[in-house]
Amino acid sequence: MASLSSLFDPELLRRYDVPGPRYTSYPTAPQFTPGFGEADLRAVAAASNGDPIPRPISLYLHVPFCTSPCFYCGCNRIITRDKARGTAYLTRLYREIGMASELFDRDRDVEQVHFGGGTPNFLDPLQIAEVMDVLRRHFHFAPGARMDCSIELDPRFITPAEVGELAAAGFNRASLGVQDFDPAVQEAVNRVQGVAQTLGIIDACRAHGFRSVNVDLIYGLPKQTLEGFERTLDITLQARPDRLAIYGYAHLPSIFRPQQRIRAEDLPSPEQKLDLLRLAIEKLGQAGYEYIGMDHFALPTDELARAQREGGLHRNFMGYTTHAESDLVGLGVSAISHIGASFSQNPRDIGGWEQAIDEGRLPVWRGMRMDEDDVIRADVIQQLMCHGRLDYDALGRRHVIDFRRYFADALARLEPLQADGLVELGEAGLQATSRGRLLLRIIAMCFDRYLTAAGGSAPLYSRTV
Amino acid sequence: MSGPGVVFPRSGPAVMADDGDALTFCSTCAFSQACMSEGMDKAALMDLHVLVEHVGPLHPGEHVFREGDPFGAIAAVRAGTVKTYQVDRNGHEQVLGFHLPGEVIGLNAIHDDRYPCNAVALDTVMLCRFSFPKIALLAQRLPNLQQHLFRLMSRDIGVASLFARDNTADERMAAFLIGLSRRLAARGFSPRRFQLTMSRTDIANYLRLAPETVSRVLRRFEQDGLVHIKLRDVEVLDMQRLEALALAVLRD
Repeated sequence: MASLSSLFDPELLRRYDVPGPRYTSYPTAPQFTPGFGEADLRAVAAASNGDPIPRPISLYLHVPFCTSPCFYCGCNRIITRDKARGTAYLTRLYREIGMASELFDRDRDVEQVHFGGGTPNFLDPLQIAEVMDVLRRHFHFAPGARMDCSIELDPRFITPAEVGELAAAGFNRASLGVQDFDPAVQEAVNRVQGVAQTLGIIDACRAHGFRSVNVDLIYGLPKQTLEGFERTLDITLQARPDRLAIYGYAHLPSIFRPQQRIRAEDLPSPEQKLDLLRLAIEKLGQAGYEYIGMDHFALPTDELARAQREGGLHRNFMGYTTHAESDLVGLGVSAISHIGASFSQNPRDIGGWEQAIDEGRLPVWRGMRMDEDDVIRADVIQQLMCHGRLDYDALGRRHVIDFRRYFADALARLEPLQADGLVELGEAGLQATSRGRLLLRIIAMCFDRYLTAAGGSAPLYSRTV
Repeated sequence: MSGPGVVFPRSGPAVMADDGDALTFCSTCAFSQACMSEGMDKAALMDLHVLVEHVGPLHPGEHVFREGDPFGAIAAVRAGTVKTYQVDRNGHEQVLGFHLPGEVIGLNAIHDDRYPCNAVALDTVMLCRFSFPKIALLAQRLPNLQQHLFRLMSRDIGVASLFARDNTADERMAAFLIGLSRRLAARGFSPRRFQLTMSRTDIANYLRLAPETVSRVLRRFEQDGLVHIKLRDVEVLDMQRLEALALAVLRD
């Protein structure tokens, strides 16, 4: 693989700093409609049981609560210190788990469980272990070696001993929010988090046999400086997490209300933002990390990096994964399911979700059934996002299409990108250049029927880099 | 592309003709062979064609007929898949067969004047319906047609007894796939790539296996490089070995 430093081309990154989807799914969530309801979810689940070899199941559980608001956050969350809310939430979540489990045949193994938020560790380890018990009662878990059980952790609200309790409950992967260790930045985003505290949790994950630890950092935050961010990177890389995500902060205060508490004059300029990204990429390259895609990096020994080398990388709502396609069941407020060729999403407002559960209904707010074209494009975009290249013959064979004819318009749209050096268009396929790999979204956007139908880019997406 | 033909159940000009006119029958029609092979003059064709009523599209889960309904017509599948089944005294479903384009349903009703089973669309189904009294009358005038009717009926009996024998799960599964492949190929579909329009439970029921066994056997076929399966799509990678496995059931 090319060295990480060749990823960074400031001129290109500037030119293509346009809003675009992150393609954790295709079609993306804005295409979901309320026309897809509970009956549709039941039908697609029944159909998925009818597949000759039904896919394994991945479970996503959303815990919407956070004790304190981080000002940069664009997630769907509820700020509260009232632990009773967690208890009430779990009562309903268990009912949803019960209802959802009845949709699937008993011989379908669960291979992946992910707790996301909000802050999953808003719940205490006993509660989280209880959720796992409920899941095990309703679903059949694959043997330990195949089972990925991950949780997003806020290191400020968990102790090393509690990490042990999570390991005992079956967790073997963790993702830790760090963002930046610089105290000035931490204050500006309302997230004060000690270095020792954070490193202690990483150590505890290792000590308790977690297979991998991921750390999230963010560049582009208020008050961020090159010096401060370099120190953050040094501390982080010293701990050598298996995976690192370097997200770009997207300031959209009109959409994400918490961001209104960030002062625009504290934000780094676009130039400074690019310098921060360049710094991160250089440092990660020196430390031996490989680029996976989007915002994600991993050590060469990590499963993600190995899967990418072997062509077995996938991408879903939980990000990059080594699991071959599975039917994803999202549980909890706002969670998204992806079953067969369909998407469905639970209500984003807690009231709507609670009401559905209380009435004994599967809480479906909106969704969609993919048509044949959606399925083909989803495969193409998945290949791009995971491997940065397309093999026209393989795709044509898989979908029984003449790829070049089917995608003549998309290939035409790619030509200016080729002229700009993002992508190389060949006879048999296309390949993102090393400079183009940070801009995979831009390449993928050329294959997005809904974007081209809309005649441009939708304003609600965050910026590409 | 692997092999000729369209991937079932998609439609294409090669496998799904237009609705036909007085002289041009749908190429998927069960009777096209009888008409075209020999000796059917224009007048006879016209006679046959006026007996045909196009039915559909039927949507998944819609019934063509139910057990006990009075018999009046046989139907040829033009597009899609029809499942025939009975429900026993304990309420258990018994799958009798899957009927693909070009195949006829309702033949087993001739004896009792009532349909002895249920027929349900598994996907979007189009049918040609033939009034039986009229076709029987016509058959007296057209020896070819009569022969063809007999042939269809005897084939129907053969299919039903296929899996009553004492074969391993692997052999039954292989025979099932080879059977589908051959039947689809005969109608111009790709023999190597097709969709399983029936559910795992239906396949299991038909082959007298547990649904988990269907998946286990197919997973093993995949590991052995016989087939590739993604969701409902099947690609036969090693037709020879699959046929060898199926031989114990098919015997030809």
